[in-house]
Amino acid sequence: MRRVAVIGVGVTKFGKHERTCAELFAEAAADAIQDAGVSPRAIQALYYGNVVGGEGDRQLHMGPLAASVLGIPTIPTTRFETACATSHAAFRHAVMEIAAGVSDVVLVGGAERVLNLPTDAATEYFAYASDATFEQPAGITFPGVFALVARAHMAKYGTTEEQMAHVAVKNHRHGALNPKAQFQKEITLEQVMKSAKVADPLKLYDCCPFTDGGAAVVIVSEEVARRSRKPVWILGSAAASDSMFLHEKKDLSRVLATERAAQAAYRQAGRGPQDVDVVELHDCFTIAEIVATEGLGFFEPGTGGIAAEKGWTGLGGKLPVNPSGGLKAKGHPIGATGAAQVAEIVTQLRREAGPRQVDGAKVGLVHTLGGNTATVLVSLLSSE
Amino acid sequence: MSKVVTLKAFFEEARAGRLTGIRCGRCGEIAIPPKEFCPACQERAWEPVPLDGHGTIASFTVIRVPPRGRAEEAPYAVAVVKLNEGVSLLGRILDIPLDALKVGMPVRFRPLLREEQTVVAFGPP
Ligand SMILES: [Zn+2]
Repeated sequence: MRRVAVIGVGVTKFGKHERTCAELFAEAAADAIQDAGVSPRAIQALYYGNVVGGEGDRQLHMGPLAASVLGIPTIPTTRFETACATSHAAFRHAVMEIAAGVSDVVLVGGAERVLNLPTDAATEYFAYASDATFEQPAGITFPGVFALVARAHMAKYGTTEEQMAHVAVKNHRHGALNPKAQFQKEITLEQVMKSAKVADPLKLYDCCPFTDGGAAVVIVSEEVARRSRKPVWILGSAAASDSMFLHEKKDLSRVLATERAAQAAYRQAGRGPQDVDVVELHDCFTIAEIVATEGLGFFEPGTGGIAAEKGWTGLGGKLPVNPSGGLKAKGHPIGATGAAQVAEIVTQLRREAGPRQVDGAKVGLVHTLGGNTATVLVSLLSSE
Repeated sequence: MSKVVTLKAFFEEARAGRLTGIRCGRCGEIAIPPKEFCPACQERAWEPVPLDGHGTIASFTVIRVPPRGRAEEAPYAVAVVKLNEGVSLLGRILDIPLDALKVGMPVRFRPLLREEQTVVAFGPP
């Protein structure tokens, strides 16, 4: 298989936009193409991610629409959907297209727009990523799924609501350093603890927001990468699944798909958790960050809450997690999130992250989780 | 021969107050339908098996921000219940005070009927 590198990244401001998904994606994609220093004509395929455009915008067939708005309407396109892991899944497939020698320059990304919808409608559409036969009729929501994980983690390991709150405080501190973040303000532990309950034990400040935004990256073969400014190499990119049914999860306090995808990505890369300098992981809820830091092998099972409390995952700590502010503060435009996480790690490995730069970062990990913990993607990237 | 239990049949039985599982004819694994291959041994030899509906709460949450159409029902609890036969099932909690819910609490299956729809639910044993 051929080596593959990221040579360009683009992310819109995250927050509320009066623009369509295709417009948001196209802005990010144009930035990524210009950052890559290639002509739009060089792009050979588009792997596009979006989740609820069919429900919210009554728009299907989004791949060619995105390419048309970008201004390169004749390239082959495919739309991906794996709930919140959507554009990371698109990324992995695009990497395989280049590794296999089919193409040399591929554009990957996604967009989401939900802030134009009423909150109960957006909550309903996000819940479509849970099983429609048993779980949606019972009234489960996306925060509800992670509340079940949180309760199981608390019962098994003694993890506390305060430890979860530390994740939110830390990610807001990081987000305050990111000009693209939806929330660029710090919050206190007390604010998190006193915020309204959404799905017990999760409170408003344990939850990532609804977000509009787009993100894109340009990935290329080694031959093209050698002619570019600061290529960041993809050491491994792996996907794993777990049962779609919450009633079939073997252990609700773990995300087994994270553990499987991480093992596969580490194997491809010939690296382990001890080699990772910076992480962007899927903190859709504070408990999700705690469980992910365990599943990715950074901390022993049951100790992720302690790591958050002790500040080990903050900028300047042992292992900085979510320097971008994460989904919690940067925002979570679900179809764009995976590509935005890759963009942050590329920015970190290029040493271009400004005040949120992780000193000396050479190897970065990207972790993206889909919906009810049934889909996970993990990729490892390196500046060398 | 595998005897398939369709979702339609599962929910028709559930509506009448009976929970139906499936048992693998090779390894004895019990699952909730629908399923073709046994996840444990990959055999395709299911037999329907009645489940007695008793179990304990493995995890639960109280939904306070509900999806569209559920506003009048909120707040309500949803739990994953580990049944005595070893399989788990997710359902709505009925007739148990929200602040009394605990991991490990015994509960018993009963259907929640909503016009044409049957929802898995659990109440006091
Ligand atoms: Zn079997």
